[in-house]
Parts: sequence; structure tokens; C-alpha cells
Amino acid sequence: MKVDHFLDATGLSCPMPIVKTRNAMKDINSGEILEVKTTDKGAKADLTAWTKSGGHELLEQTEIDNVLTFFIRKG
Amino acid sequence: MTTRTAIIAANGELFDAYKVFNIATAAAASEHEVTIFFTFEGLNLIHKQASANLPLPEGKEHFAKGFKNANVPAIPELIAISQELGVKFIACQMTMDVMGLEVDAFVDGIEVGGAVTFLEFAKEADVTLTF
Repeated sequence: MKVDHFLDATGLSCPMPIVKTRNAMKDINSGEILEVKTTDKGAKADLTAWTKSGGHELLEQTEIDNVLTFFIRKG
Repeated sequence: MTTRTAIIAANGELFDAYKVFNIATAAAASEHEVTIFFTFEGLNLIHKQASANLPLPEGKEHFAKGFKNANVPAIPELIAISQELGVKFIACQMTMDVMGLEVDAFVDGIEVGGAVTFLEFAKEADVTLTF
């Protein structure tokens, strides 16, 4: 997957992964893909819901060694 | 149309602060229009000095370590993030009068108002919460 932007939100707890993702998405263009890494287990449901409510598209979500990775296309 | 979230903060300990500011920042980061009305003990949460030293509930002091381990942001940091995201703070005038507090006792950028100021915002709110 071609990733345009990367956000490392590992080690941060709620609500920071959402806040950081929101700020990162502000700065990118519609159609571009942001990769977000987080270790906040709550983000699995939270970022998924945030992506949907913001009109963005969750392309893929993986979990490896307690690190959750989200690939989000800006709507 | 923008989603509106109206929050009443009426309690003044550390747990209360996290409940209020975590929901407020999450809502604002989801592009909600957010207003928090701080009343009675809730005023502690935006008091310049008190907000940086909020107490844990009695008997729960051991959670201080848990906050540190979980890398939870400090309350002054969450206040700053809330304000950067456009969350509006209203301090209750009546409580300030009762407690003898002036507006300069609070963090910058707050408004002072009465119940009606909050209600005018809350009557059109999609989400209303009280902590």
C-alpha cells in the first residue's frame, strides 16, 4: 500500500491517539493515506469509529506485538 | 450540521477532570462543537493552581501510579489541548460569587456566564453529559 503520511502514536493513552490522528488528518489532502500506529487497546474501536464518523475510509487495520496499525484514507 | 456536545462539570477531583476533559477532547477531535459549564466544585478543574494539583478520591491515592504508568496526559495539558481544539469553557458566575473568585483565578480564554448561557447552547445539543 502506498502510504502518504505516518503518525507514531505509540505509548499514548486515550484521548491522545484520536487527537493526534485528527490533527494529522487536518494537514493532509483528501484521498491521501495516513498510517497510524498506536499501543492504546481502546483505539481499536475508537479510531475505527472516528474514521467512520469523519467520513474517512479505514483501508486496513492490523495488530502485531500489541501495536495496532491503521491505514486511513482521508475522505 | 455540526454535532454539539454540552457538558456540565460539577465535581472537582482528579477523576472528574479526566472524565470531563477526555470526553471533551474526544468530542472536539471528532469535530463536535463542545461547551463545558463549570459549576461548584467543577470550577477546580479550570482554576489556575488547583487544576494542576487535583486530589485523587480518598482511599484511591494509589491510582497515582497507574496514571503515570498509563502515560495519561496531565490535566493542564488536556486543558490546553481542549482549548486548541476549540472547546469553550464557561465558569459559573454564581459559584464564583459564592466562593469569592475572580475571572483571573482561572485559565485564560474562559467565559463567565450563568445557567442560561449554558442552556442556550445545550438546548440544541446532540449529546449532553453531566460529571
